[in-house]
Amino acid sequence: MTGAATSAGASGVEGAAELVARRRVVACVGPGGVGKTTLAAALALGAARRGRRALVVTVDPARRLADALGLPALDDQPRRVPVSGAAGALWALMLDSRRTYDALVARLAPNADTRARIHANPIYQRISRALAGSVEYAAMLKVFELQSRADLDLVVVDTPPSAHALDFLDAPARLLRLLDSPALQWLVNPALRAGRLGWRWFRRGGQQVLRALERVTGLAFLEDLSEFLLAFEGMSGGFRQRARAVQQLLFGPDCAFVLASGPGELAAAQARDFLARLEERGAHPQGVVLNRLRTLPGPGGLAEAAEGAKSADAARAALRDAFAARFGAEFPADEAAAASLRLWRNAAEAAAQDAAAAAPLLADAERLGAFARRIPEFAADVHDLAGLAIVEQHLFADRESQNRHAGGGAGNGAGGASGGREAGQPG
Amino acid sequence: MVVTGKGGAGKTTLAAALGRAAAARGLRALVVETGRDEHLPRLFGWQGQPAGHAGLELPGGPRLMHLSPHEALAEYLRFELRVPLAATRRLTGGPMRALLAAAPGWRELITLGKLWHLERQRGAAGLDLIILDAPATGHGLAFLDAPRAATSALRGGPLRRHAEWVEALVCDAERTLLLPVALPEETPVRETEALVRRARGELGIAVDRVVANAVEADPFPPGLADLDERLAALPQSLSGAPSPRDMARCAAHLRQRRAAQAERLAALANATALPLLQLPRLPQAVRGPEGLDRLAAPLLAEPQPWPQA
Repeated sequence: MTGAATSAGASGVEGAAELVARRRVVACVGPGGVGKTTLAAALALGAARRGRRALVVTVDPARRLADALGLPALDDQPRRVPVSGAAGALWALMLDSRRTYDALVARLAPNADTRARIHANPIYQRISRALAGSVEYAAMLKVFELQSRADLDLVVVDTPPSAHALDFLDAPARLLRLLDSPALQWLVNPALRAGRLGWRWFRRGGQQVLRALERVTGLAFLEDLSEFLLAFEGMSGGFRQRARAVQQLLFGPDCAFVLASGPGELAAAQARDFLARLEERGAHPQGVVLNRLRTLPGPGGLAEAAEGAKSADAARAALRDAFAARFGAEFPADEAAAASLRLWRNAAEAAAQDAAAAAPLLADAERLGAFARRIPEFAADVHDLAGLAIVEQHLFADRESQNRHAGGGAGNGAGGASGGREAGQPG
Repeated sequence: MVVTGKGGAGKTTLAAALGRAAAARGLRALVVETGRDEHLPRLFGWQGQPAGHAGLELPGGPRLMHLSPHEALAEYLRFELRVPLAATRRLTGGPMRALLAAAPGWRELITLGKLWHLERQRGAAGLDLIILDAPATGHGLAFLDAPRAATSALRGGPLRRHAEWVEALVCDAERTLLLPVALPEETPVRETEALVRRARGELGIAVDRVVANAVEADPFPPGLADLDERLAALPQSLSGAPSPRDMARCAAHLRQRRAAQAERLAALANATALPLLQLPRLPQAVRGPEGLDRLAAPLLAEPQPWPQA
């Protein structure tokens, strides 16, 4: 936290620009499929343009960020993304959970022998190689490592698309619970003893539960496990310390959450569920972004569409006459008028629905003092820097533009520059 | 039948619609969801008790189940491995939960194990078809890969043997079909291509079609494909009608979206060499049997090969 940070807007709400100026970590959270990766990349891009040395981390093996940044491939080393005219710098990396674990083991292992034994252990190999659930651990470790780097000001992290949106946040706590759990102690102590004396010898002692466990998993597994735990014994302190530090970072003043949601009730409900769980942990999002909302172009927007529906006959007649006057008698003016109005009504209905689904989240944002931004649906996917720049401009606009109808309207392609320009203009 | 795809692609809705479609054909189907919260009953417009792990038979079908990995684990230990009750309780209760919560992969394995068990008993249980709404996973096929992961980590014992059985079920084209569902957007399409390739190649899982969900309908009537341009050529404002310019922008947006989607779908069809089943983007959130039936109807249609360009 620096005193030199930009002051918050007149409303007292910290906008995206203040967020990226003041925090060290920004986590994009929310349900799957709402465009978190794009938003994370756009936030990092905005930070870079504002003088920060920003890194965006994607933990999604789907390589989406690579697409969005126009990079052919990402790996677990930061890659510089060329951004013309940026005062800061933009970096991107994709998490490789196995390498992250390997690096941590290498750092914490007391000697080369322990490191080699852990790396060769079948259980460790399974845990570290993208078995469902282990990615979250790796993500949290990587973010922690990165945010302490002196050559970076900001890490924006795109959270893993897990079944449980909070797996990412819970990973440190879960690791701590595991390390402190009586079950592990109970399992580790005999395993450690067994590891030294030989599991076969130990099992004669015959604890019922261990016998049951052995029946489930087979003797070899318990041998592997005891070897793993034995090798791990000297390192658990390091893991524990790190997990605690990550938790403090995530829920401390240096980290902000940006909650992303998409169009439709389902995404909004999932996002609100996520928000409730954040609040349970005494945290809340500093920003709420509603992505890909269907909107109507034009200043009249929804109100005009509703007005138009009331006098549909008059509207149809007016349009028909205009079509006929412009294109002559050969043109099916009446059909075109009807189709135009149908299309407009459907678009208005869709926009009204997305607005209604978004309303509770916007109210949440207001209640929490978080900034809220609505980003319109684009005709094409955001897949390059130009597209990202448009999203960035929506995110970083001083206040929401177009009199509460998000963005530059439905007519903008992601690659078009007009949406970006309009986004910065209020009203 | 395993419905898989990214979060937000509409897996649960598709699984529910498949359940309706199966019931409409007189099949006794069980739709299984596995997430933390239960969504299926609400999708069917069911107001009563939740399905829970024990399941729920909807009037007119299908049957619903909210599979609990913890309960499935307890069942497995108790009845499959004949672990004494006290030990089962210790292995699944309180302190072990923290250990389990941290153990990657067990949920997937036990979920599939439960399905294996259901499949084996389907004669006795009066089931023709099991439809699984697979957990949302960004790790591609980590879910279906869990048995193989277990067999490689375990060198012996009943757990390994059982994991092999489950793997055999997953890889048996006669019994298991993977149904990927994708939104017609660039990245979901690319991910689905990769998923299909890996499922059919490395994992040996059968896939015979891909579902494209939320495909925009053609906003233009036949013969008026240039409606947006025509609208743009009209005077900018008309008394009593919405602004033609705004309508033109709106129409152009829809046309561009549809064209972009068609491009994605063609790429998907070409890359996978599989027929595509297209489901329309419905104007409203699906709730209740009527909404599901609007999706069930196209599901029952024969999938069409994508017309070659």
